Order: sequence, then C-alpha cells, then structure tokens
Amino acid sequence: MSGQRESSETLARKDAPRLLALLKEMKEGLDVVKSKVEAITVKVKQDKFRTAEGISYLEAKHLLLLSYCQSIVYYLLRKAKGLSIEGHPVVRNLVEIRLFLEKIRPIDKKLDYQIQKLTKAAEGGPDEIITGDKKELNKSQTEEDPLKFRPNPDMLVSKSAPEEGAGGVYRPPKFAPTAMDDDDKISKKEKQALRREKALLQQSKQNSFVNELMSNFEDRPEEVREIVGAESRELTRYLAKREAKERQEEELFTRAPITRREKKLEKHMTKSRNGLLGMTDGFYDDVKMLPLEERENDGPTEYSAMERGGKRNKKRKARF
Amino acid sequence: MADSKAVTLRTRKFMTNRLLSRRQFVIDVLHPGRANVSKSELKEKLASLYEVKDANCIFVFKFRTHFGGGKSTGFGLIYDNLDAAKKYEPKYRLIRNGLATKVEKSRKQMKERKNRAKKIRGVKKTKAGDAAKKK
Repeated sequence: MSGQRESSETLARKDAPRLLALLKEMKEGLDVVKSKVEAITVKVKQDKFRTAEGISYLEAKHLLLLSYCQSIVYYLLRKAKGLSIEGHPVVRNLVEIRLFLEKIRPIDKKLDYQIQKLTKAAEGGPDEIITGDKKELNKSQTEEDPLKFRPNPDMLVSKSAPEEGAGGVYRPPKFAPTAMDDDDKISKKEKQALRREKALLQQSKQNSFVNELMSNFEDRPEEVREIVGAESRELTRYLAKREAKERQEEELFTRAPITRREKKLEKHMTKSRNGLLGMTDGFYDDVKMLPLEERENDGPTEYSAMERGGKRNKKRKARF
Repeated sequence: MADSKAVTLRTRKFMTNRLLSRRQFVIDVLHPGRANVSKSELKEKLASLYEVKDANCIFVFKFRTHFGGGKSTGFGLIYDNLDAAKKYEPKYRLIRNGLATKVEKSRKQMKERKNRAKKIRGVKKTKAGDAAKKK
C-alpha cells in the first residue's frame, strides 16, 4: 500500500511542472477569450450588431462549442477535486460533442468561401461605394484575391506527368481506387468452370424450352408474331440487332442512314420462303441443353456460335 | 378506306426541352392491316392528344416501319409557339408544314457562279464581277 502511494507521489512530482505549464496556458487562453467576448457583448447590448437571422449553421456550431467547453470545464473540476469520473455522463457527453464537431468540419470547409465573401461584403460594401478610390480597387484586383474564385487552369496537376521518385523508382500514377484481383489464385480448372457456366447461361437464353419455362414463371404475356413455320436463327439475330439499333436511335433522337447493304439485307429477310427458313438450323442445339446425361467435366466448352467454316458455310444459291 | 382499322398512337421518352421551347418525344404508331399512317393524320391525332392550339407547331419526322409491318416508330416535336418553330426548325421541315417556301435555285446557275467566283480572290463584289463576265 505504501509502495503504491509512493509511486503515485513520484509520478505526481514528475508531472507537476508540466501540469503547471498547461494550467498557465489554459488561464491565458481563457483570459483572451473573456476579453473578446466581453467586448462583443458590450457592443451587442448597445444594439450595434444584429444577432437574429444569421447563418443557422454557425449558430449551431457555436452552441456546440459552448457546451463542449462547459463539459470540459466540469471534467477538469472533477479531476482537480479528485472525484472519479468513471461512468459519469460528462465523459459520454464530451465524446459525443467531439464526434459532432469532427463530422461537421467538412461542411465548415465548404462554407468557408461563402462566409468570407459575406463578411467582406458586409464590411467592405458601403466603403467601396462611397470612396471612388480606383487605386485601391485596382490593387485588390491585381493581387491574387482568393475571394474572386475563377477556374484557374494553371493550377491543374497533369495526370500523365509522372512524379520523379526519390530513388529513380517509377511509380505509376493513381487515378482511381482499384482492387487487386488475385488472378493467380484461380486455378485453370476453376477458370474453365466459370467459362462453362457463362456459356451455359448464354445458350440457355436462346433455347426455346427454357424460354417457355421462364415466360411461364414470370407471367409474361404471350407474344404472338405472325411467323409461318419455325423462325430461322439468322432472322432472330437480324431482328435482335435491329431492335438494339432502334433503341440506340431513340435514345439519341436521330436516325442513322440506311446503307445499300442494309437495304439488300432487309429485302433478303422479308422474302418469305413458305416457312421453311428454320428447318435447316441445328436440331441438336435444343437437345444439348436438356440434362439427359452427366456432362459435368466434359472438357473445354464448345464454342459453336459461328459454325466452323465461317464464310464458306453461308447458304449459297443453287445455280443450274 | 381512310380509317378502316384502329390506329393507336403512343408516345415514349417524353421530354420538355426548355432551351428550344418545345416538347419532344418518340411516337409509336400501331396500324395493323395498313401500310403506314400519313403524317398529316398523325399531326391531327397529336393535336387532339396534347391539346395544341396551333397544329402548325407540330412536326413529325423520321418514321420507319418495323419488320413485319403493323407498327412504325418516329419522332415528334411540339413547339410552344409559331415563332419558336420558325426559329429552331430546319428549313425542309418548315417547308413540309407549309410555313416556308422552297427557293427554286437553278442548280446549274449556282454551280456556274461558284466556278466564276473561284477565279476572283477577296471581297470584290462577285455580282458585279459576273455581270461583267456574263456579257
């Protein structure tokens, strides 16, 4: 017990000069504030300054600051008297107000320009009108007046100019936050599985069976279009492209001019071939989607969107 | 056989363009069984739909029939007043609406005049110039 008391005494003796210095500082600060506040209150009482209809943000701020000061004073009082502050609501109060003040600091920064302008207008306004002193105005204009904010292209930092590293190390410029994807950790098998899933999704969108299921599910109204026979794949693709183009045109409120090639294509598409267009398309595609057998790890996915053969595969006119 | 089947008008992407003092939108016309609907008919329908006092302030253009027929899409504009229309619309659309007349300039004459002006440099009056050369 005595050992503890001794150690606390030595601690107190060590901190004593520091404490004295801090207390002196505090007293000086308080004196300054007191004198300033007294001057202002005297003037307000003389009705020189109007205190109504000010910027409400500033009012709220100084009320917050006031209560913060009060809480601090009370805290110090308790400490000085040796009373404990464990679980006393003043601590919580202090923390809360501190938090608020920190949060409104960015607003402060944003309003700063406006407030400065207002105060300058308030104090400098009548003066400028009365004194036609052009010299003064010119001077303030030629000086860099931060209150006359204008876009200043000289202040732009060029994005592409690389900053020289201290040891000649090249550091790439950072524009936007990027996430470092650990691509190396995804093994080849996982990548293939991902790709297979993507391909599956794309194929299923075009499969008629799945489309029927989906439209049943979503209660979509049945769309009936006049098609004789099965619709060929190239026709659906042509229509999809055309719809995408129209959507784009509507967005921009213009029309793209139709080339001769497009006119030819449209003529070719509108030619009805008695509903036999869809017959020559792949039959196997529809069956491919059904889970008839286990096709888990069948190797790399087959990319047969454009059948092998490319241009040679296009239907040719029979010439007799 | 003007209106044997019902013609339905639908407007999409409606936007009030305050800068050009007009309202612009995309028009969807459903006309099953008909080839397409004439622009004058569309203007009448739009006038009744949007309660426009002056049907001359309505302009419809760039209509295209969808694949398979029965539906066409185009653009439409309704100006607030006639002066705004005359100010902002391109000449050819004003001529279509009857608010301006086409100036018949002979193409050949224009080209000849241009070729003559190529030989002279500067602000010299080309008119006086080609009057002199024409003789």
